Order: sequence, then C-alpha cells, then structure tokens
Amino acid sequence: MANVTFRNVRKSFGEFVALEELDLHINEGEFVALLGPSGCGKSTTLRMLAGLEFPTSGEIMIGDRVVNDLAPGKRDIAMVFQSYALYPHMSVGENIGYPLKKRGIKGRERDDAVQKAAELLQLDALLDRKPKQLSGGQQQRVALGRALVRDPQVFLLDEPLSNLDAKLRSYMRAELIELHRRLGKTMVYVTHDQLEAMTMASRIAVMHGGRVQQFDTPDAIYNRPANRFVAGFIGTPPMNQVEGTVEGGHFITGGHKVPIDRSAYADALRDGPVVLGVRPEAITIGKGEGLPATVRLAENTGHETIVTLELPDRTRISARVEAARRLDVGHSVALTFDPDAIHLFEASATGARLNLDAKSASVVSMRSK
Amino acid sequence: MTAIATNPPRDRRSPLERAYARLGVLLIAPTIIVFSLVIVYPLLAAIYLSVFSIYTPTLQGDFVGAANYIELLTGGAFWHSLGVTLIWTVGTLSLQIIAGIGLALLLHQNIWFRSLARSLVLFPYFLSTVVAVLVWRWLFNDLYGALNHGLIQLGILDMPLDWLGSMPNAMIGVILVGAWKYFPFVVIAVLARLQTIPENLYEAARIDGAGPVGRFFDITLPQLRSVLVVIILLRAIWDFKEFDLLYLLTGGGPVTSTQTLSLLVYQEAFGLNQMGQAAAYSVGMMLVMLAFMVLYIRRTGGK
Repeated sequence: MANVTFRNVRKSFGEFVALEELDLHINEGEFVALLGPSGCGKSTTLRMLAGLEFPTSGEIMIGDRVVNDLAPGKRDIAMVFQSYALYPHMSVGENIGYPLKKRGIKGRERDDAVQKAAELLQLDALLDRKPKQLSGGQQQRVALGRALVRDPQVFLLDEPLSNLDAKLRSYMRAELIELHRRLGKTMVYVTHDQLEAMTMASRIAVMHGGRVQQFDTPDAIYNRPANRFVAGFIGTPPMNQVEGTVEGGHFITGGHKVPIDRSAYADALRDGPVVLGVRPEAITIGKGEGLPATVRLAENTGHETIVTLELPDRTRISARVEAARRLDVGHSVALTFDPDAIHLFEASATGARLNLDAKSASVVSMRSK
Repeated sequence: MTAIATNPPRDRRSPLERAYARLGVLLIAPTIIVFSLVIVYPLLAAIYLSVFSIYTPTLQGDFVGAANYIELLTGGAFWHSLGVTLIWTVGTLSLQIIAGIGLALLLHQNIWFRSLARSLVLFPYFLSTVVAVLVWRWLFNDLYGALNHGLIQLGILDMPLDWLGSMPNAMIGVILVGAWKYFPFVVIAVLARLQTIPENLYEAARIDGAGPVGRFFDITLPQLRSVLVVIILLRAIWDFKEFDLLYLLTGGGPVTSTQTLSLLVYQEAFGLNQMGQAAAYSVGMMLVMLAFMVLYIRRTGGK
C-alpha cells in the first residue's frame, strides 16, 4: 500500500497542453476518482501514473519512490482498461495469471493465486474459457482479476464500467466499493460519470481544461463547489447559475432582490457583479412574492418532476418538485431560493466561489488562461 | 435451375427468391467456365497424357499404362528432385518469414523514413524475375562478381568462391535470392495485421511486467498467427512450384543439384521430349503438394 503524489506535473503533446499544472496527493488506501468531461486530462493523469505516458515536467511519486523513470512493470501498480485489454489468445486463467508469470511465479503458487482471485470474482467456473466466449460483465471481472491477482500497491481503473449496460454498471459499482473495502488498497479511478465518482470515491478530483478544479469529498464537491465549473458539472440537472449584482449585501437580478445569508460571506461580499448558484431542489415554486419566472417545460420522471423555468432575462433554470405537482407550461410563477443553499461565485466565466475556505482555495484557484 | 423450373410444386420459394437465385448462378457462371477451361481441362489432360509415351515435338505416342508411374517411383529422379524441392521450399520460406516479420516489426515503429521505407521494401517483389536474376548472377559471378570482391576485401574469403556452380553454395544462393525476392509479400501482410493489434494489449502487458521480448512472444506472435497461417500456406505453394527464378539462376545445376520438381518436369517435357513422363511427374508433384496442404490445414485447425 502506498500514497500517490503528483508534484507540479505538466504534460504537453507538442503544442497541445493536456495538463497545465497538477498537484495531487492521494492518501494510502484512499479511493480517488478523477472526474471530468472528455479532454480534461484525467486519462493522461492516470496513464502517467501507470508509466504509459511521460510527464513533460514535474514529479510523480508512489510511496516514497519517484517513479518518473520506472518502467510500468516496475511500479507495482495494476490497471484495468476501459476496453479490458484481455489477451485474446489466452484463457481466463492464463489472463489472470499473466502478471505472475511475468514475475517468475510458477506452478502451485501461481495456480493458487489465480484460483483465489477467480473465486473472489466468481470466475472459477470460467477459467478455461477464452475472453471472446465471455459476456461484457465477465470480461470486466477477468480484467479486475488480472489486476488484483498480484496484490499491487495501487490500482488504476480507466473508465472500467463505461462499456457495461446500466444495470450491470450499478451492480459492478457496488462490487467495486465492496472490493475496495475488502482490499483496503489505494485506488485511482478515472470516470466521466459523476454518479460513479459520487457513489464510490472517498475523494473526487474534478478536472477541466488540464487543471484540477476541486479535490474534495463527494459531499463537499456537491455542497460547496469551488467554482462555476464544478457547480455546473456536478448534479443532474446541475446547479443553476443566475447572473446579478450584489448591492448593499443583497443579490439583485432583473430588479428583484434575492435574500442571502450574509453571515456566510463575512468580508467577501462586496458590491459588484456576481453569479448566484442554486441547486434545483433548493427552489420553491409559488405565487406572489419572489423572483418572477415562466414555466417552459415540466418533465415527470416518475418520482419527481424537473421543471424548466425562464427568468425575465431569458436565463433558463431548472427546479425539482414532487411528481404529483401540476405546472402548466406558459404560466407565470414566483420563485424563492432557500437562503442557506445559495452559492455565490465571481462573475467571470471561470468564477471562483466567493467564500472559499483556505483548504480548498489552495487546491483550486482556477485562473483564466 | 432447370430442375427448379420443371418442378414448380416442390419449389415453395417466392418469385423474388427465384430471381435472386438465377442472378447468383449468372454471376458465378463466368468464374466456373474460366476455371474449367484453364484448370480442370489441363489437369485432366495431364492425367490423360501421363499414361502415354509421347514424343513432345509431334505429340504422338503409344499407351503405356502405368509405366511412367513405375519410372517415377523407381527411377530416383523424382525422389531426388522432391528432396531438392523440399530443401529449397523450407529454406527460402523460413528466411522469407523471419526476414518478413523482422522488417515488418521495424517498419511498424515510428521511424522518420517509414513511408519511404514501406514503399522501397516492395521493390524486390515488383522487379521482374529476369531482371532480378541477371543482377544477382552478376553479383554472384565467381570472376568479377561484387559479392566475392566484397568478401575478399573484408577478409572473410581469401579465394573467390564459385557461388552458383558448386554445392552447397548453389542451393544457398538460390535460397537467398528466393528469400530476397519474396519476403516483401510477408512484410506487407504482417504489417497490415500489426496495425490492427490494439495498443491496449501492449500497455496491459507492460504493466503486467512483460519486456519487449515477452511482448513479442505473448502478444505479437499469437496475434499474427492467423495471418501467418495464410502466408505460409500461400508462399509454400508458390515456392514449391517456383520455376523462373531457379531456371534462370542455375537452370537446376550444378548437374541436378538445384533441380526442383518444376524444373524436372520442364526438363523431361522439353529437354528430353518425354511429354508423357513429364505429365506423370507433374501429377506426382500435385499429389505431394495436396498431401502437404491437407496435413497443414488439419494441423492449423482450419479455423
């Protein structure tokens, strides 16, 4: 077991900069998800940790060792690929046993280790099959088996569930959580699926544009997003963002005053343009007092209804109401936001949270390029 | 088709299906006709000729029954040439495969002159055999050949060597030229397959601790297996039947040291004017090849 550290790591492919500057410290035994849209640099980060890509500058450490110049096979890591990358001509047993074979472990010892891994993943009946005779979920488990047979220090998982159907994916999520709990190993998990990151990871590094936007627990990522990108990326539907100004300690948009909890901001709340963030579930739709809006769309998903509303300045926001509630399209309503659930961000496109606490501020500080 | 047309009650297919079937027959007909003319007829003619004693210039002769085949089995010439053919085929084919895979691996790397090298490597294959052989004969020449000159300059030889006029040099010479001429075929086929091997497999193997040699034997070679089966099958057939390269380079000599079965058949038919005996040899040659191919396809699973 080991912790993982990225120190000032930068990666560019010719002109293209994949990672601007990466500082990340992953603790021993932690399950960390690298989450972001495609092209954000999360896979590059993982591949550098695996030794499949080389950082342009900076240091990568596993435990106390700087691994920059170590071959992938010498880093004591295991990786599960999105495509599984099973050796097609080898049986399931040979696939799982391959990392041991390459480390000179022979005979009974290897067979026992393969058997143990296969039992853990319920593959023991399939050891003689070839990968192409297996279902997607089974192939996935073989890839996992090949990773855990060797008892590596760090597990790297590159979107391992994205080729599975929705039902199997939620099953495998639970399996992976259970596996992590049982093995207690450091795991780095790359995904673009926020549900996977939120449910499985102990901490999430939200990445965008070659930078870590926020590195925190799922709870903090959801409840205290560090900037507008994180706010707009996490949540389905994501956090609504309303442009306005702060005047004398109030948020004003389109001439309407929205009450906010001033105590949460102390001296950060200065007069000027800001962006207000509010999650769909913190919006109450009523009549009379409040921000005027028009109902544009109501989508009933069965257990709730997502309502799309249009503010007078044409900004569209979504609200979450109980499924039974009937709202007619085109009707005017008045919105009130739960003051405790309001987030304020700087008005720039990459705006940081106004009341960032020192800890996340040091990690985040998203600068505009 | 006529059977279908005259038995309407038994044909439950729709008019559209019948139209498709007619179209199918129409489309394969040219192939069948040409195939019959150029393959089936000569084959049957050869078998027919092989039971006669025929004088080539007049194509006249008498029925001799199995005499030509008895000569084939007991005369020794056939067995000697079969041995020569096997040495030639195994030797040149092995070199073609080894050189072909090696160069394909090299050309698969990201080297800066890759696209140029990929075209250049095809050069020996494009070159007409006559031209290639003339150049090689000049290189191999014992008196003024570049090969002897170079080897003496390097101090490897102290006397010029008779490359094509003595054994085993003549066999080594034809095997080398054969390998040189035909390895590009292996390069192209292997290179095409190499490009389809998923990069992920190599990455997984690197993480699993496999070095370059391990990755070649554990991933590249098994992945090339299917294409190698086809290449070896095709090249073995073609090398077994090879005529022009050997005929032009050594003419089967010295004496009959490099006289493969193809050359034996030619010699018998047009040198000794024994068309019947030549036909018997060629039928024997075909049977040997058939036996090898059946064995090979069985062994490789016929997948």
